[in-house]
Amino acid sequence: MSDGRTLERLQKLSHLQDIELMIREAEDTKTKQREEEMGFTLQGLEKLRAAREKWRNQVDPKDLRVFDRIAKRHPRAIVPVEDRICLGCYMALPTSINPATADPDRLMTCENCGRILFWLE
Amino acid sequence: MAEPSRILNYVDERFFVRDLRAKSKDGVLKELAEYLSQDKDVRDATLVLEMLRKRESLGSTAIGSGVAIPHGRTLAIASIKVLFARHQKGIDFESPDGAPVHLFFAIVAPPQDRNNEYLPLLGTIAELVKEKKVRGMLMKAATFADLRQILEGWGDE
Ligand SMILES: [Zn+2]
Repeated sequence: MSDGRTLERLQKLSHLQDIELMIREAEDTKTKQREEEMGFTLQGLEKLRAAREKWRNQVDPKDLRVFDRIAKRHPRAIVPVEDRICLGCYMALPTSINPATADPDRLMTCENCGRILFWLE
Repeated sequence: MAEPSRILNYVDERFFVRDLRAKSKDGVLKELAEYLSQDKDVRDATLVLEMLRKRESLGSTAIGSGVAIPHGRTLAIASIKVLFARHQKGIDFESPDGAPVHLFFAIVAPPQDRNNEYLPLLGTIAELVKEKKVRGMLMKAATFADLRQILEGWGDE
């Protein structure tokens, strides 16, 4: 059963990934320059990096280890599922994988690409 | 100017907010995330809100002249969405010119968008609201139809 706790764990990891993407884009000279030309300020990179560290401490250490291990191979370590398709590798998930019957203590991962699945039913 | 009418591909009636009620910057972000979460392509309002908050910590998305464009990418979104919202009284949004913000365009995008629409779209909106006349019309828009007319009618001149 995907209970509230599972949702919370997935939310935490997803938000961590959102922050990391934001940092990567702010570090990318071209993206940064384009945003600044539009009139936005991106001066708070240090603040954002500090927020990332603070957030990492909010994540369950076990989940964080899984996330970091996958993130080494795939910058997007956690991906959504749509119509039983993993949006990391675009492969259909086998019927044996089912959020309704999954072990709530284990993060669901894609058998094909290994990414964590943001999938709730 | 790039066609402002293409903004209409990402905004619809539910995303036209005449009067925001919030009384603070964070309150506005919360309200924007709530409105956005009415769409089925928005998987999680909490994640949208947290992303918008983090983006503000990188630097205010207010660009002066009473306009802010909160924006960013999040896993919680399946496709790009644009929301227009207005605050009659104005909100302190840490704008570079110190002026209160009345006009908001929120843009949220998935981590990857296949056709790379996100940054050009952001640019189109930022450019559009630099026009004083447009800001004046946006302040007066009473319905989504008015917004549509402004976006369709601008940019060809
Ligand atoms: Zn996969």
